[in-house]
Amino acid sequence: MLPMIMHFKIRQAGRRGIGFYFPIILVWILAGALLIALFPFILLASLVTCLRGPGFTLLLVYPIFFSILWHLGGLRIETKNAENEVLIDFP
Amino acid sequence: MTEERKKILEMLSEKKITVEEAERLLNALGEPESGSAGGKPSWKYLRVLVEPGPGSERGDKVNIRVPMKLIRAGLKWAALIPKHAQGDINKALQDKGIDLDFSKIKPEDLEDILTNLDDLTVDVDGHDKVRIFCE
Repeated sequence: MLPMIMHFKIRQAGRRGIGFYFPIILVWILAGALLIALFPFILLASLVTCLRGPGFTLLLVYPIFFSILWHLGGLRIETKNAENEVLIDFP
Repeated sequence: MTEERKKILEMLSEKKITVEEAERLLNALGEPESGSAGGKPSWKYLRVLVEPGPGSERGDKVNIRVPMKLIRAGLKWAALIPKHAQGDINKALQDKGIDLDFSKIKPEDLEDILTNLDDLTVDVDGHDKVRIFCE
């Protein structure tokens, strides 16, 4: 499932931390628009490099990229010590 | 659950067969397939936990949870890395003492690694305890 929200939290020693839920869906919309805009260039690049180079495997960037985005849900990275704390969570 | 197993359990619930007979029949069918090698459950997440040991000064704690599907997708992404760049990556890894070629790791190999990685604990110089496991 495509994560819609990202929980981000950062705290440094002696400072008030920041924690917020970011609507990451906005980034995905922008990334999607960018990928659509880039499609003709990637198609051209794959045609040009068809004989020598990556060729049509360049087009695999699209499904793999979306596959990565789709499976980001559940990813959680949390580091903590006496001074700092960082949390990135895709619930 | 396969149709045969369902049928056996239904027959047991309808008391058409005894518990012993059901057990015998289930054994005859063999181990249930779980979608991963070795009949082990298919894991959803890879967890990496770093906990401070008695010698740890800063008390670093790390808690990482990576979905397995994301790892599989990442491996596919790694396959798109150009050959010459893969060579550079492998050389850099070898310089660090890691003799590993990521291009040769296939999704099936990853399944094998993960199914056999029940719970791995690494003690780093007596400072931190690194625990890697699947859940």
